[in-house]
Amino acid sequence: MPAKTNKTPKIVNLSGALIIDRASALKDELVAAFAESSQVLVSLSLVEDLDLSCLQVFYAARRSAASTGMDFHFIGTVPPRIAKRLATTGFLDGMPERAEDFEAALIDFS
Amino acid sequence: MIDKFKAAFREEAYELLSQLEDTLLELESQPKNGELINAAFRAIHTVKGSSAMFGFETISHFTHEIESALDQCRNGTLPITKDFIGLTLKARDHLKNLLEYDEPPPPELVAFGETLLVRYREFLSGGHGIHPHASASSPAGSGSPSTAKQGAIEVSPSGGPTGAGGARASDTFAKGGDLSTWRIFFKPKADIFTDGTKVLNLVEELASLGEAATYAHAESIPLLEDLAAESCFCAWDIILTTAKSENDIKDVFIFVEDHAEIRIERISEEGMDEEGRAKRLGEILIERGLVTRADLRAALGSQKKLGQVLVESKILSKPEVDSALVEQEHLKKVQDKTEAAAGSIRVASDKLDALVDLVGELVTLQARLSQTSLELKDVSLASISEQFERLIAQLRDNTMSIRMLPIGSTFNKFRRVVRDLSIELGKEAELVTEGAETELDKTVIEKLGDPLVHIIRNSLDHGIERPDEREKAGKPRKGIITLSARHSGAYVLIQVSDDGKGLDRDAIYAKGLERGLIVPGQEMTDNELFLLIFAPGFSTAKAVTTVSGRGVGMDVVKREIDSLGGIVSLSTELGKGLAVTLKIPLTLAIIDGLLVRIVDEYYVVPLSSVDGCIEIHASELRDLGERRIISYRDELVPFISLRSVFQAGGDEPEIEQIVITNSQDMRVGFVVDQVVGDYQTVIKPLGRMFRDVEGLSGATILGDGTVALILDVNRLAATVQREAGRRIGHGGER
Repeated sequence: MPAKTNKTPKIVNLSGALIIDRASALKDELVAAFAESSQVLVSLSLVEDLDLSCLQVFYAARRSAASTGMDFHFIGTVPPRIAKRLATTGFLDGMPERAEDFEAALIDFS
Repeated sequence: MIDKFKAAFREEAYELLSQLEDTLLELESQPKNGELINAAFRAIHTVKGSSAMFGFETISHFTHEIESALDQCRNGTLPITKDFIGLTLKARDHLKNLLEYDEPPPPELVAFGETLLVRYREFLSGGHGIHPHASASSPAGSGSPSTAKQGAIEVSPSGGPTGAGGARASDTFAKGGDLSTWRIFFKPKADIFTDGTKVLNLVEELASLGEAATYAHAESIPLLEDLAAESCFCAWDIILTTAKSENDIKDVFIFVEDHAEIRIERISEEGMDEEGRAKRLGEILIERGLVTRADLRAALGSQKKLGQVLVESKILSKPEVDSALVEQEHLKKVQDKTEAAAGSIRVASDKLDALVDLVGELVTLQARLSQTSLELKDVSLASISEQFERLIAQLRDNTMSIRMLPIGSTFNKFRRVVRDLSIELGKEAELVTEGAETELDKTVIEKLGDPLVHIIRNSLDHGIERPDEREKAGKPRKGIITLSARHSGAYVLIQVSDDGKGLDRDAIYAKGLERGLIVPGQEMTDNELFLLIFAPGFSTAKAVTTVSGRGVGMDVVKREIDSLGGIVSLSTELGKGLAVTLKIPLTLAIIDGLLVRIVDEYYVVPLSSVDGCIEIHASELRDLGERRIISYRDELVPFISLRSVFQAGGDEPEIEQIVITNSQDMRVGFVVDQVVGDYQTVIKPLGRMFRDVEGLSGATILGDGTVALILDVNRLAATVQREAGRRIGHGGER
């Protein structure tokens, strides 16, 4: 992924169910976002469901950003249902609501 | 096994509810104290989590609503009001009732719980209808990130303990047999999504089988540009403590067996090592096949933490170490729960009583052995007897110490009594306690509960004035009732004092006359007069309230304290307050006594009451005549002959002994034929036939099998003092 220098954040607002059917499209959307800006901010506030395939996309995006000196962060809040699911399945330490806490609590994310 | 865990849960829950009651009562006076709110929340949260884990679904459901309300209190969106505290105290009482039953509890209890929940919902919606987590998501946030994170860990919007390593436990967990801990490795193949398998659902289902610690391995997820979005790159280590069988666990994976690598292994003995300690990280890593013993030995040579060394030396990846740490933490948690049962064993009190009885028998048998060895004059036997005596004394002390409990455990309930009663009476009062750590025999503590409740109710109803009256009298609106305990030799002094209006001497005297307890013109000391309030049916209250005023209660106090071998005394100042002091023996089972003889009968004087012994010649006694008073340590001490008290008959020896006792802070002497010596006394109750015999509190069996009666020094002393007073009175008249 080529490094971008545009520091104007690109905000990606997501909503609905982020499940396998949308995994490829999500990946493409994030790739496009990184193409626009070196700082991609994703809001999960309106997400109703999240499955492993889409979660993996976020992990991959974070790793790509880290490897190229770009930023990938969550903003807003994390629906409790999502947090609970990730906590139960071992991805999340605790049940944070604020995106910055959520990011810090995601296992092996940062 | 499961019953053992349930018992441990109940024990823990009772303790938590007791703490919750204290916290709520403190919170009432400090409604903005965040620490207290957090403590209340934690107590309820823990009860909720544990109840769900052990299958107490009704409790879990009920506590969930309270937890939500307390969470709002923590966030500051729901104010702590007196009503809210009142409701939560009722909820706490309800939980205590629910704990008495296995699932399902009686329908009427469930229905009552629902009425409480309706009130909670009213609190939650009535003007405070903010989402429990609204403040945390507000732009201003709810504090530092760390506190927000911590709060989120504890709050489970949909119920049940959650969080990494804390999957919600299902009721099936409790309904099964023995608990086992399993280590499960689950690595789906990359193509698992293609057949529609919802991998996270499988992990959730597995976690729902019991208490789970789950570690997700996300390290294989590639960079975004390399990611095949429809492939799976994750794996899981799941540590599951459950009553379910291995087959039940396998059933979760039944449809993905061919699409995943699955390893299920049972962790030995609930995660303990051979010595019963929680497993160390190194042992877990070896079990997982991640390191060899050689690796471990090399790593342990370093001063750094093992996990850090193994990661730095690239023997293991960080996720591998982190996953093992999650397992270790889970195993510790399981061990803690097991130890909670083992560390504070809940023993039925009748078993403990039986043990004390057996020790008592041993003490008696030892006395017999001691006597026999003396009679036989066998040196070897005497030596054995002495060793035996020492051991028995230790055994006695240890056994008795098991029954010793801090009296503070009963103090807690009095705080609630004061709170509820002051509301009912429209008064303001606070209970201050001192010396809660003072230890007392469990059986004595149990018997003290009712008398203390009566005294405190009496203080609140008759002692503490209404707030406006107190203001007029120049006192703070809020009255203080102080409950204190402290050791004093073989006794505990328990005092209930208040800063109320005190006892009205004239009113008590008038009431005493009216009830015929006093003869007109009779002079009495203050203490004698005030003790009339303990007479049956005695009350100076002008109106009978639901609380007191019928004179029933204080006589119960006296009776109960008497039955404990204790003493009640009063001190009061009109307008300033009243202090009721109870002097209670530490134990009622085995005491040190002084064995005395009158003719051929033996009696035991509790050693804690004995001040000294003096010899007296029969001629001196004759010279004293009716004036039964001697000088002892510069004090005139009245005395009485036990021979005459118990009508023992026989001839008086030329030299008698006077045992000087200390009762009610007054010395009294008892004349006996001979002081035999100290004696470990196992107290046996007197039968019904002897219940009303004055001056005796029990009996004990001596080494030769004969019975010795135990003197009720307090009663006898009171008789002696009365007699002395009468003689002095007569002398005055002459």
